[in-house]
Amino acid sequence: MFFKAYSVIRNNCMRTRKKFPIRLAAGLILAILMDTAVQLVWKSAVVSLPNNGSPWLNVQALLHSPLALSVLFLMACQFFNWLTVLSNADLSYAQPVTSLSYVSVFCLSVLYFKEATDLIQIVGILFVFAGVWFISQTDHVTPSKEREA
Amino acid sequence: MMGQNAFGVFLVVIYALLEGVAQVFLKKSVLGSGHWYLWISLGVVILLIEKMIYSEALLFLDVGAAYTIGSLNLIAVTFMSRCLLREKVTTKRWIGVCLIFIGVGLVAART
Repeated sequence: MFFKAYSVIRNNCMRTRKKFPIRLAAGLILAILMDTAVQLVWKSAVVSLPNNGSPWLNVQALLHSPLALSVLFLMACQFFNWLTVLSNADLSYAQPVTSLSYVSVFCLSVLYFKEATDLIQIVGILFVFAGVWFISQTDHVTPSKEREA
Repeated sequence: MMGQNAFGVFLVVIYALLEGVAQVFLKKSVLGSGHWYLWISLGVVILLIEKMIYSEALLFLDVGAAYTIGSLNLIAVTFMSRCLLREKVTTKRWIGVCLIFIGVGLVAART
């Protein structure tokens, strides 16, 4: 799925005037993969916490949870990768493209956790793909001249 | 008095708006316009605050609802990129963002 997404984004962008950097494509795919992992592990971490009713106590409990520490590690990696992506693309380009993580979280939930799915969700996935396709048709970076105008 | 669900929705909306602000600061840090450490520090602080807010929201809302409302951050980020970073946000890009927002809503509605 990710290789397909990569080739669609790359092929579409190669047709446009500006060259699409491989570093950017790799960064976007990595961002999607890490976001998927963060979403799945984060939810498990939060659910496993006792509900103390106090944000501070919740933070303390989070700091002692191995799952939460894994989330923090993943978030740190995600953060540095994201800065690399942002240095190569517009924010309004990169952020929506990483929405493909919604698709990957959905697919993993169906494939590995055997969660039920229905037609509406599949239509939703198609909407997300269509949205990313539309965005991939635009230039990935705004020229500095246009930015200053 | 605000119900638990309404409070959860309120927290996720705040999370989505803060995400937009944090992303703008992070983008500013890599634009090479000076004071990058200031932008990056502000971005990280806001990211940490929004993550705590989102964690709290997950205690009041199903993950599906939180996901759907949280995807408002796409619209917040696009709007702020246009206004604060002067990025060229074409109609095509807006259509893409709206399609993704609807798609995420449809996927998360049943979770």
